[in-house]
Amino acid sequence: MTSDKLNRALRDVAIPEPPEAQERGRQMVAAAFKERRSDDSEFRGAMAPTISEGRSRRPLPRLALGLSLAALLAVLLLSPAGAAVRNWVDDTFTASPPRPEPMLAKVPGGGRLLVQTGEGPVVVQPDGSKRLLGDYEGASWSPHGLFVAAVKGRNLSALEPDGTRRWSITAAQRVANPRWSPSGERIAYRSGESLRIVAGDGSGDHLVNPEIAPVVPAWSPFGTPELAYVNAEGQLRIASSEKSASRSGAPPDMAGAVAGSRVRKIDWGAGGRSILEVSPGSLHLQGMRLNKLEGRSEFRRRTSLPIAPGATVVDAALAPQQPLVAASVTFWKKHGTYSEAVIYRPGKQPRTLLSVPGSLGQVEWSPDGRRLLVAWPGANQWLFLSLGRGRGRAIADISKAIAPSGRPTSFPLLAGWCCRR
Amino acid sequence: METESGGNERRLVREAQAGSGAAMARLYSLHWRSAYRAAYLVVHDAAAAEDVAQDAFLAAVAALDRFDRRRPFGPWLHRIVVNRALDWARREALRRRVDGADSVFEPLPPPEEIGGEMIAALKELPAEQRAVVVLRYLLEYTPGEIAEMLELPRGTVNSRLRRGLDRLRAAAETERLAGDRR
Repeated sequence: MTSDKLNRALRDVAIPEPPEAQERGRQMVAAAFKERRSDDSEFRGAMAPTISEGRSRRPLPRLALGLSLAALLAVLLLSPAGAAVRNWVDDTFTASPPRPEPMLAKVPGGGRLLVQTGEGPVVVQPDGSKRLLGDYEGASWSPHGLFVAAVKGRNLSALEPDGTRRWSITAAQRVANPRWSPSGERIAYRSGESLRIVAGDGSGDHLVNPEIAPVVPAWSPFGTPELAYVNAEGQLRIASSEKSASRSGAPPDMAGAVAGSRVRKIDWGAGGRSILEVSPGSLHLQGMRLNKLEGRSEFRRRTSLPIAPGATVVDAALAPQQPLVAASVTFWKKHGTYSEAVIYRPGKQPRTLLSVPGSLGQVEWSPDGRRLLVAWPGANQWLFLSLGRGRGRAIADISKAIAPSGRPTSFPLLAGWCCRR
Repeated sequence: METESGGNERRLVREAQAGSGAAMARLYSLHWRSAYRAAYLVVHDAAAAEDVAQDAFLAAVAALDRFDRRRPFGPWLHRIVVNRALDWARREALRRRVDGADSVFEPLPPPEEIGGEMIAALKELPAEQRAVVVLRYLLEYTPGEIAEMLELPRGTVNSRLRRGLDRLRAAAETERLAGDRR
């Protein structure tokens, strides 16, 4: 076999390419170049075939954008909430985990936790006491923690936090991932591969999209009746929750944007200003704004967050009000696996809060955005990282501490931390 | 695959460094296909190849100001692509060992297609051998250049190429015999 033959084989053999891969990459590079130069019009124009090349740079808009960003950052950091964040990120987090405490005597920072255990969802009260809601397979909080949406098989139920069932509906296929809208008026859920919405009282169940990606949908924090989800083609879509899919199955989408490949989680937070897209190899922030005249959200700039070489993103979450992203990443190295909890702040380098052996798991912001709960399944611990008030707290033997029966089961999954008061 | 003369490419890099989006767009168009193909032939996973190629371009954009424009853009980008693809392949191999997970590889083209057996054989090579074969026989770098790109001794590059080629020759022979039978 000659070099030529091998060259031809490698050059000509058909290889699979995800649809729109080149276009997705083009948009990503355009966004990155725009960010680098703060000069989007030229690049965007260059990406359109009708625009000619060779326009010069325009320093004034960049200066204006830079000043705007600086002003925004100053406002963020000088506001009371921003000051807390500033204190937090300026204080050095411990680089190693705190000494584990033997039991969860109370929820650090207050609030109630909803946790999925092998026996069913459990509510952990601020004083650390627990209540099993039943043998449901998944659950999530209503916006003020007055109810819990729970699923089992083809059933979706609304429960009171003591487990009392208020209503229940049966879907055509297995139900998963219920998410209550911030207004409390609707619940989005997946049934089989479809995305559906039902009113908060169990009425008006309707189809939004007959086939979506296996990603939990996210409601708009702007208070608009909008739901973000990832469709079967991997696009990030915004649907009106007040409309149904058409008879042909066309979803009531109002806007769409390119999403990263293999997105497995979206999180609409930071006061509504960003949707976080989490993939094993990447983190992207899709900027959002509220068009107040039309009462709907619009896509803005999309940026990627830097991931350390060799790292795999396990989980990430946007802070409820601040433009902060917390992520757990894992490194598989020859000498062993280790993980880091990392925080991303606007305009600054990512900061490693914690480094531990083994794998970290889910990350969950407290309702006030001042604490982080990071799961550490390898050590069977939960790590509560607080805002610049000394060391965080670690709770040992968490699978046993959370299990309603007191017998250790599988490591519990965080289903929500409620509620801001 | 689109091509551009060395002088033109240097001009594009110079213009992109000066802020021309048009030049960056042209560089992207010129190199996306080869970047994606190289990434795919190392990782054998379409979604991962897309991630790798995207990340390589993003890294190139981020480092554009530091790029020595007297040097060609392609090898610089390919170096990033192949090193990231290798990182991914090693991570995936470890993940599968740790998790015992099934392969997430995309189905390969059927053997009837041109080079199908050879691509299947390429997949069977260790990632490090795949990378040097792709750099040598797809992107046509010399062993010396590959050694520099991957920061390996030249002897290591040569031995990986030799071992990889032996396996691919066997696959080519199988394909030839199958073709004769058809």
